[in-house]
Amino acid sequence: MHKLYVHPLPVRIWHWINALGFIALILSGVQIRYSDILAVLPFGLAVQLHNAIGFALIGNYFIWLLFYLFTDKIKVYHPDLNPARYYRDSLRQAAFYGYGIFKGRPNPHHVSVYRKFNALQSITYQIIMILLVPLQFYTGLLLWDVNGFAGSIELFGGVRMVSTVHVLLFIFFSAFIFIHPYLASLGHTPTAHFKAMITGYEEVEEEPVKDVAR
Amino acid sequence: MTTLKKILVVDDDPVVGKSFDRVLSGKGYAVITARDGQEALDKLAREDYDAVFTDIKMPGMSGIEVAARVKTTRPWLPVVIVTGYGSDANEAAARKAGVAAFLRKPLSPEMIEDSAHAVMPENRPGAAATAVASPMPAALAPGVPWRVGTFARNVGLFFAAPFIGLAYVIALPFIGLGMLAWRGYQALAKREQAK
Ligand code: HEM
Repeated sequence: MHKLYVHPLPVRIWHWINALGFIALILSGVQIRYSDILAVLPFGLAVQLHNAIGFALIGNYFIWLLFYLFTDKIKVYHPDLNPARYYRDSLRQAAFYGYGIFKGRPNPHHVSVYRKFNALQSITYQIIMILLVPLQFYTGLLLWDVNGFAGSIELFGGVRMVSTVHVLLFIFFSAFIFIHPYLASLGHTPTAHFKAMITGYEEVEEEPVKDVAR
Repeated sequence: MTTLKKILVVDDDPVVGKSFDRVLSGKGYAVITARDGQEALDKLAREDYDAVFTDIKMPGMSGIEVAARVKTTRPWLPVVIVTGYGSDANEAAARKAGVAAFLRKPLSPEMIEDSAHAVMPENRPGAAATAVASPMPAALAPGVPWRVGTFARNVGLFFAAPFIGLAYVIALPFIGLGMLAWRGYQALAKREQAK
């Protein structure tokens, strides 16, 4: 058993601010949307909170983005350009989560610094971080000043479209907030990945995978 | 036309040699592997190489000893030590032996390519003259020099990633159905034959 430094400090800082922020955004967002049946916070305050946290998280996102853009760790966010290998790895990983894990089979993915994510993680994190999160921020920004951004909203397909996309993504992220910690608890111990996301170090069972240059 | 640069990779783990080969072949290098120090020295005695990359921890002769022996017989030949985790004592010993650079595992393709490029004598001004006296500092470890081409490619792949990912997801059911159909067709064809 030895330790591998997989989550550098900027990523950890970004992640935990982001996680808390998303929870606060989901809660304040629910309050805004359902102010007719829910009155935990006054409507105006909920809107102010939602906006402030939204901007804070947009700023926070750049910690993550700039870190990955300007270090060679960007590789963990590269797609697998070999479809056959991609599908094989994904199916193996899915079979592990759906079946193998209950039988005590070993995880088919081996963590290394440049391949810390398994096939399913990497595709979800790529889609979420490079597409959905920015889209959520962008639609949120447009809705924050509907008049000021009238032109951009027109381009996007109208304010109804912007709002629908924002809400659909809200539903997605609400589900993600439950599924993601569940999947993160499936390490060799339930808390292993959580500790890794705090300390930066993942414990790896076997000899380190010597190469990533596959 | 340029001739291929010959690189000897010494590691008891064949995976390492394979990854060097994958990264460097087609880029003007020929990668030859040796599984231990003795095999490496034998190969070096028989043929000329342009650079040696050696692991430190190997059964039998250590990488440091390989480096030291190469340096006594071929002081002009750059030796790069590939080190594992937190082996500062090893590094001091290797530095003494006069190695050209250190590479710290885990290796990325860029690390391999850039270090291979950097240790070639024509890319090391004055290296030939000073190879014996002053070992190059561990300039390559652990980072990699910044290059515009690599950066552009990395960022391009990064922003393409979610779209490639979505394409994979969308294609999945079709590929699944296609595979099922193919299996079914094969099974039917077999039954026809059996009749
Ligand atoms: C309930 C709150 C959350 C918890 C407990 C949590 C937990 C974790 C843990 C333990 C990891 C490390 C294991 C792994 O790499 O899979 C992780 C990684 C990650 N999480 Fe979360 N998370 C939360 C919320 C979020 C949210 C809201 C997002 C994005 C919208 C998010 C995006 C990510 C990403 C992108 C990674 C990989 C980070 C990287 O290394 O680049 N997480 N999370």
